[in-house]
Parts: sequence; C-alpha cells; structure tokens
Amino acid sequence: MLHIKNVTKSFSGIFEPVLKDVNLSVGEGEFCTIIGANGSGKSTLLKIISGEYYADSGEIRRNGEVSQVVQDVNKGTVPAMTMLENIALSRMKTPRLVFYRRHINDAIDKVRSLNIGLEKFIDQPLGILSGGQRQAVATLMAMNSGKTSLLLDAHTSALDPKMQKMLMEYTAQSVRELQLTTLMITHNMEDALKYGNRLIMMHCGRMVVDVKGHEKSGLKLSSLLEMFHKFEDQSLEGKGEKNVN
Amino acid sequence: MSIDLILNGLQQGLILAIIACGIMIPFRFLDFADLTADGAYPLGGAVGAMVMLSGMSPVAAIPLAMICAGIMGVCTALIHLKLRVNSMLAGIIISAMAYSVNLRIMGKPNIALFNCSGLLGQDICVNMLLIVMILFCCLIPFAVFLRTDFGLRFRAVGLNPHLAKLQGISIKKYTIFGLFLAGALFGLAGSLMVQIQNYMDVGMRIGILIHGLASLMVGEAIIGNATLNRQLAAPLLGALVYQQIQGMALSFGLAPSDLKFFTGTIVLLVIAMKKNTDRNSFFYKTATFKK
Repeated sequence: MLHIKNVTKSFSGIFEPVLKDVNLSVGEGEFCTIIGANGSGKSTLLKIISGEYYADSGEIRRNGEVSQVVQDVNKGTVPAMTMLENIALSRMKTPRLVFYRRHINDAIDKVRSLNIGLEKFIDQPLGILSGGQRQAVATLMAMNSGKTSLLLDAHTSALDPKMQKMLMEYTAQSVRELQLTTLMITHNMEDALKYGNRLIMMHCGRMVVDVKGHEKSGLKLSSLLEMFHKFEDQSLEGKGEKNVN
Repeated sequence: MSIDLILNGLQQGLILAIIACGIMIPFRFLDFADLTADGAYPLGGAVGAMVMLSGMSPVAAIPLAMICAGIMGVCTALIHLKLRVNSMLAGIIISAMAYSVNLRIMGKPNIALFNCSGLLGQDICVNMLLIVMILFCCLIPFAVFLRTDFGLRFRAVGLNPHLAKLQGISIKKYTIFGLFLAGALFGLAGSLMVQIQNYMDVGMRIGILIHGLASLMVGEAIIGNATLNRQLAAPLLGALVYQQIQGMALSFGLAPSDLKFFTGTIVLLVIAMKKNTDRNSFFYKTATFKK
C-alpha cells in the first residue's frame, strides 16, 4: 500500500519543479506501469518513494520496505561477488553468524526459475556475465528480498529484445506470485499496456492519464500513442510547460 | 647474506605481515584508504611498553595495546563518517595527533625494557613460531567471519555501498568495525615489535604504512586477489618477500635512508604492472586509493 499526497519536488538550478502536486494511491498487490517522456518526473517519483530523494512538500506513506531495480546494471548487483553471494546478500533480513553457503540450494532453484541457464555460474563472479544476464539476477535479487513493494525503473531498457521479453515475463510472473505492490517505469508502450492492471502517464511533473482494470485492458496501442503525442506536441508548440531533463 | 640476516628478515617480515593485514582490511574490503597505521603502530608499542614497565605480564600488554590502537582506528572512522572528512585526511590527522599522545603515554621519547622479560625472547625461531601462531589466531577467525552473513555484508560495504544501503546494511557500523580490526592489528604489531627490540622509541618506524602497503601490493602482484583466500594470503606472502627484497637492497649497498625511496618505487612499479594485468581480477579495484 502506497499513498502520495500533494508531493512537490524541485532541484536547485532548475526553475520548474520536476514534480508538481502529485497525488497517487496504489493498493496492495497493484501492478502499475508508468510511461512518460524523458524528464516528465517518472524517475524522481520513484526515487521519492524509495527514500533516495526527499520531497519539498507533501506526504508519503508506505507499508513495509521497497526493493528496486534500476536501469544501471551495476547498481543492483555486486559484480565482484559470485552469484551465490549476491543472492545471499539480497535475502538477508536478519543476518546470522553462520556460513552464507547454506543458501546454495535455494539460490540455484531461484536462478533456475529464470530459465536462461545461469545456474552453472552460481560460484562465478557476477562480473563475467553479460549486462542482460546480470540484470536478470538483479531482478531476481529484488524479488528475493522479501519486501512487499517493488520499484522498477526501466529495468529492461538496456537489454536486447529477446532478453527484454524474457525478463518482463519473469517480472510479471514473480509480481503475481509474490503479490508485490509494483510501480514500473517503461519506455515500451506495448509493455505498458500488456503488463499490470493500471497505467499512468506523466507529463511535465503531473499525472495526466490514470487508467485501471477494464478501462486499461480496453486501451489500444494506437490510442495510447495518440495520447502520448498529444501531450508531447503541446509542450513542443510552447503552449505547455518546458520539458526539464 | 648470512642465515642470521635471513632469519631476522623473516621475523621482521612477520611483523610487517600483521601490518599489511591491517592495511588490507579497510583498503580491500571497505574501499576505505586508511592511513592510521603510522599512529596506531607506535601507539601499540607505547602502550605495550608501559604495561610491561609497570610490571604486568607481557601477555597482558598485547591485548591492551590492541584495544588502544583499535580505538584509534575507530576515531579515524568516526572523523570520516561524522565530519565527512576524506578517509586519508582523517588518518593523517589522527596519526599526527597520536605522536603527542604517544609521548604523553611514555613520558619521554624512548624507553629501554632490558629489565623486563618479554613474551618474545632471544631465540629467533621460537619468536617466529609465536608470531605465526598469533597471526593465524587473528587471520583464521577473520577468514571464517568473511564467509558468514555478516562477512558478506562487510564485503558488500566496500564493493557496492549504494546496494549495501538499499539492503539496509549500516555502512557506519561495518566501517567502524573494520577500522577497529585494522587498528588492533597495528597495535598488535607494535607491541610485538617492542618485545622483540626490548626498546621503544616514539619515532618507531614512522612510515610503516608505506612498508605495509608495499608488502600488500607485492603479495597481490605474486598471487593476485581473485579469491578470498588469495586476498588473505597476499599480505603474508608479500611481507615476507618484501622484507627479503629490502634486505637484499641493503646488502647491495643501499643506505638505510634510501629505503623509503626504494619502497615507493616498488609500490609504483607494482601499480604500473597491475594496470596491465588487472582486467581479469574482479575482486581488485583498479586504483589503490578511492577515486
């Protein structure tokens, strides 16, 4: 469960606030996809929820802790540690003075569920894997953390199309199984429509579209693209507000 | 080189190995460039000497010296964490302050301990055996610790502090803990050295840090640090080899006063070599100091 009330955020040196009076309420187990142009405030919103940024004003309430996967592969993993060590690290709510190797069977099972044959690298440093493989492990680690909410910031966008599809399927399945309250930023309109049960479009620091349930499943790609361009063209014509990167 | 010279070199090398281990912990596991050694090593010596002078057992001198020097390491950590001073600067400040503290503890610049019977006597082989035993008593528990949940988190702090924070790991606690360990090892080395020499001088090997660092780097150049075991063995091997290199340099006619230049050259050479061979080692961070 997640409540955001009247949140505003600006950065020094940029005149326009990046988030303007944003209100958002996400229910338990809701899977919400977020789209919007670069600089529309999507990432800032997620960073405020995760606690990395503080809002200038407004109120944020969330139940339980959040885990996250960001676009940058190196942030979500420790490349110098082995895959087992990475996975063991993610599952450690209450560390004990016991060998972490006890997690090996559990870790292999989890990696096998990714279905891309990574289990043979369980004792290898994660750094030898490709970016896509590492991102898959990073996603697994976020799922494995036992936290109730999940923030995904374009976590598949640096991957090749095949890997993107695989990782999205894995993400959607895990979110369903674990009943995670999820916010996912994506630049892929199809993914935004296909996955989740709610869709939000952001534009210049505001939420301009918010559709759920049947309304979302009835939404067509063409009409979504049309909406997207309508807002973006506005700002290009100079009527709307300036885009902030 | 006579056998005596080699044995003496080995004994000095073992002491240096303790220091190199102390340098390795913050440098390699916490990505914390810690320069406290220059202050904590003589502090260990001063505390150890005074405890022995007061008539207490030389065995008691060692843990007391370790605790005092460990606290000094914690001070460096706190200066870095609380005042946000660069880790190296924090170490330099603490080391400079330690000089005065050491003089206060000792009351005069040098103390002879010829009347006290130390743990380490005249027999160099017995001494070496004892030092090796003490060293393993420190290193084996640490190696075991690194393989536990807490050890994993400890390593994560240095390798990816951003992720560590997200995992709810307290970077402060682990940094303080790591620097206490490092400081305690410097104190251990200092107190053992005093017992070998039966003599304590406040200027006792100022610049020990650079020798320890050189040992660590020589060791890593020889066996690398691709695995945990290699990383832990590197300071031991490095210190023994480095001490012999130094002995050889002296016997080839280098003046003792030239040694620091010589050591610096070794450190730079190893870094230059590493630059080319580093690509296969993930455990190793390319630069010695924090970028």
